[in-house]
Amino acid sequence: MVMADSRRLNDEELEKLLAEAARHPPPLPEGLLERVLADAGALADAAAGGRPAPAPAPAARPRRLAACAGWLTALGGWPALAGLSAAALVGLWLGYAPPQAVERLAGARPGNEGGFDPGEFMLSFEGVFEGILEEGREEG
Amino acid sequence: MPMPLDSLADQPDDALLAAYGRGERVAARILAERFLPRLYGHAMRMLNDRAEAEDVAQEAMLRLWKIAPAWRQGEAKVSTWLYRVVANLCTDRLRRRRGVGLDSIAEPADDAASAEDGLVRAQRVAALQEALMRLPARQRQAVVLRHVEGLSNPEIAAVMEVSVEAVESLNARGKRALAKALAGRREELGYGDG
Repeated sequence: MVMADSRRLNDEELEKLLAEAARHPPPLPEGLLERVLADAGALADAAAGGRPAPAPAPAARPRRLAACAGWLTALGGWPALAGLSAAALVGLWLGYAPPQAVERLAGARPGNEGGFDPGEFMLSFEGVFEGILEEGREEG
Repeated sequence: MPMPLDSLADQPDDALLAAYGRGERVAARILAERFLPRLYGHAMRMLNDRAEAEDVAQEAMLRLWKIAPAWRQGEAKVSTWLYRVVANLCTDRLRRRRGVGLDSIAEPADDAASAEDGLVRAQRVAALQEALMRLPARQRQAVVLRHVEGLSNPEIAAVMEVSVEAVESLNARGKRALAKALAGRREELGYGDG
């Protein structure tokens, strides 16, 4: 019994043996690191694919302005837009103007004394608003 | 824009994991290089089977990648979490084995086995591994985590999910059993007749 115990490693010897094992870990199998990194890459790809679309880049807003600019250019630029606005206003006026004002405008020709006068045009607008107000009173 | 390797290399484990969770793939490489050899080494000492140890180490790292986006920094140590995963995976495999015959124990590899010193060392490491495999799994785990992996007793307690006192007890019993298992092999270990 005493013989058997004397053959056991003491604490110091055992610690030394374990420390040696710690200094010499088993070598990493070939390809293991690559497989682990491939797993990490595949999961990162999946996560990136499942995420909501990334926040718009700062260029998004200028891109939208650029689209408007293209539409404007197709129409003929800012002067064309001014003309279009004027035509829209005249269309609006024709819709609301009292019949006599439209008749005056229809008979207006360059050099015709009984034709259209810019001052009368402005007065006609006043007639438009009065007409709208009257319609409102009648409905009320 | 991905962070450069140099700026990540000194980061703590949980910061690297958070970086990987944000899509920084280089952080995964640093974490793998930091932990994979330790996890494989620990699995190898627990299972003494290269293929199984490889599977366990890869699976543990895969679980780490999966949990990365949900990892809460400062709540747990990455190393403790990883060792716990390895411990659980090893336990599952050991249960399936229901005892390993000594004949099936693989000879541990050693990269310097050609030199005489290397041969002696390889013999010692092989003898130690054989003796470790004779210990109950919990004692083996406590001894390896403390004396080979260098974890503190509180860390081992967290890995094994037991009290620090239980770790001390497992460790003490494990070392006594190890000394007994190595009895009669002093010559082989290079310790003479003692």
